[in-house]
Amino acid sequence: MKKSSLILASAGALLLMAGVYLAFFVAPDTVVRIDDRELVQFSQKIFYFHVPVAETSFVFLVLGGLFGAMFLGTRKRSYEQMSYAAVEVGFIFVLLVMITGVLWTRAAWNVWWEWEPRLTTFLVLTLMYSGYFVLRSSVQEESAKARFGAIFSIIAAVNVPLTFVAGRLDSLKPVHPKVFTLQGASMEGPMLAAFLVSMFGMLLFATSLYIMRLDLLRAREDIEYLKEELEVG
Amino acid sequence: MSAKVSAGKQVFAIVKKDVLAELRTKEMVIAMLLFVILAMVVFSQAFAVILNDLDRVGGGLLWVAFLFMSMLGLNRSFVHEKDEGCLEGLLMSPIDRPLIFFGKMLGNLLFLSIVELFAVPIFFVLFRLELGASLAGIFVATIFLSNIGIACVGTLLSTISINTKTRDLMLPILFMPVIIPLLIAAVSATGGIMSGAELAEVYRSMRFIAVYDIIFLLVAYALYDYVISE
Repeated sequence: MKKSSLILASAGALLLMAGVYLAFFVAPDTVVRIDDRELVQFSQKIFYFHVPVAETSFVFLVLGGLFGAMFLGTRKRSYEQMSYAAVEVGFIFVLLVMITGVLWTRAAWNVWWEWEPRLTTFLVLTLMYSGYFVLRSSVQEESAKARFGAIFSIIAAVNVPLTFVAGRLDSLKPVHPKVFTLQGASMEGPMLAAFLVSMFGMLLFATSLYIMRLDLLRAREDIEYLKEELEVG
Repeated sequence: MSAKVSAGKQVFAIVKKDVLAELRTKEMVIAMLLFVILAMVVFSQAFAVILNDLDRVGGGLLWVAFLFMSMLGLNRSFVHEKDEGCLEGLLMSPIDRPLIFFGKMLGNLLFLSIVELFAVPIFFVLFRLELGASLAGIFVATIFLSNIGIACVGTLLSTISINTKTRDLMLPILFMPVIIPLLIAAVSATGGIMSGAELAEVYRSMRFIAVYDIIFLLVAYALYDYVISE
């Protein structure tokens, strides 16, 4: 493992642990009032992980699309590897979003699943990026695999916001809690601190994963190249 | 000096080629129409309990049938090109690459619309639905707007899927998640029209479909060259 990814991974891990500590021991519990009774919403704690994971997944999926476009524009193999590694890391985080999200819906809404815009968006996203991997594995020729992968990563990245907006067309559906609005974040002090620490921890951790994956892809290609050289020689 | 053929003529040449092929073989449109009608029969039996509530769910049924029918047609549209080497011919012809996309897309749009021209009245008759003349116009407009998106995304993705090992199986996997936003809006618009919802909401969905069409037309225009060139 390279030094840079090791440092990033450790920094990320430290921040994530700090995030856990802040979330559970420092940040106040959220309390809702229902009929003069105060209910502590312990399930809200998952927010400190669920949202950073979701935002990290978006960052990497968008990067995957951008690198894909750069590959098509320049035909440099390194961009294709960057795009693939970014989509892979993004997809892991999408799966984590689904898992943490479903846990939360069960705790807060008492159902495992609700057809609500964000949940629908993420389910579609999961399926769409699963399709990305199925597509790549279904193309034999390396150059075509790279091309189609890059093209679909762009199409998929474009489709994410569209799915989200479409989900909101129907105004009768239940609404996911909104934390960040145009007026700024609706939390403060220790809660915001815990959230931001988790957020940056998650991003650093994901970046280290990304760098490791990229190294692996490059090493694999080097080996393939050397093998061919040996056979020819 | 080479005589520059206008873009419109180049696109038209491809559409004409597809229409001629269809007129001679007659295999696509009729099969697609039969598929839609059969899907309606399947629905009527599978969802017999809600047949009295069709004002609210009819739009959805219609779109499920159209979606699957369009995938059937989109798959076909490139099978010939690929199997009989037509795609190479198209690529070697002096046609601008993005225009090949618009040609194929318009062909698909045409076939889709022709099938629906027959399928929609049959749907209304079979399920005993009625629409006033003014609403019928909006209904047709919604379907046509959606067809543009379906043909656009479908043409782009079926060109990719035809080049994979699994071919016919790959198209739905790629196509369905990408078409979901359009499906949501189309169902919301047609369902709204049939259940007598506020027209403002219907228009909002239609605007969304138009935006979706424009975005994916641009995406396809930008990407198609990379899809077909080796």
